[in-house]
Amino acid sequence: MVENVAQHLEQYMDLVTSRQQLVASNIANADTPGYKTKDIDFQAELQSLTADSAPRAVEVDGLQVKNDGNNVSLDREARLLAENTLRFTVAINLARAEVKSVKSAIQEGQS
Amino acid sequence: MSLFSCLSVSGSGMSAQRTRAELLVENIANTETTRTPDGGPYQRKNAIFATETAPSSFTSVFESVSQAGVTGVRVDEIVVDTSEPERRYQPGHPDADAEGYVAFPKSNPAEDMVDLMGASRGYQANVAAISAVKEMISRSIDLLR
Repeated sequence: MVENVAQHLEQYMDLVTSRQQLVASNIANADTPGYKTKDIDFQAELQSLTADSAPRAVEVDGLQVKNDGNNVSLDREARLLAENTLRFTVAINLARAEVKSVKSAIQEGQS
Repeated sequence: MSLFSCLSVSGSGMSAQRTRAELLVENIANTETTRTPDGGPYQRKNAIFATETAPSSFTSVFESVSQAGVTGVRVDEIVVDTSEPERRYQPGHPDADAEGYVAFPKSNPAEDMVDLMGASRGYQANVAAISAVKEMISRSIDLLR
């Protein structure tokens, strides 16, 4: 049971990491002519998580395109940056609890 | 894939924005420059950005196969503004031509200042991305404690 939960947490954190990478490249390319915002479909990827397939990066629709063909919205990226950090923190805290329960079992319930 | 490649992507963004800011500051400083090593008045410079696959880490070659979506940024080209210089009538000036006109750089300080603000904001956004990723990394390390 513990391994299963830990594995799911690991996959979740991997997914958040991939998304954070895309957000970082969107911010870095905020002034690159012709660059299009990239993101992953978080919910869909989470539903179909398998350990060995990298999530697919897709272009985001519905963003305003500037004169140079770039459509990075810094507001959107800042929001995702904060959201990813929070998601990651939640996952880390859950993983801590898992590690703690294993530790407790090893120490025979003595703290 | 790792959080560390996020750091190098944001780092590439920071250095590109810094190069852009350097060129803009150079343009502002040289608005009245009439002498350059090439002769003639100063010509404005501008940086052109292009995407680049995440640079130089040990695992980057492996990652570039599995993570095609992640791209950094680099300064692709520095273009020189070749528009005609602005001619002002100053007969006493040592660089004046036979008719008394001096060629000054065609500059627009307002445009440069606005671009400079953009570069500064872009730099800030990259710094914010780095601190968010740094927090994620340090939390992962805390997991071991």
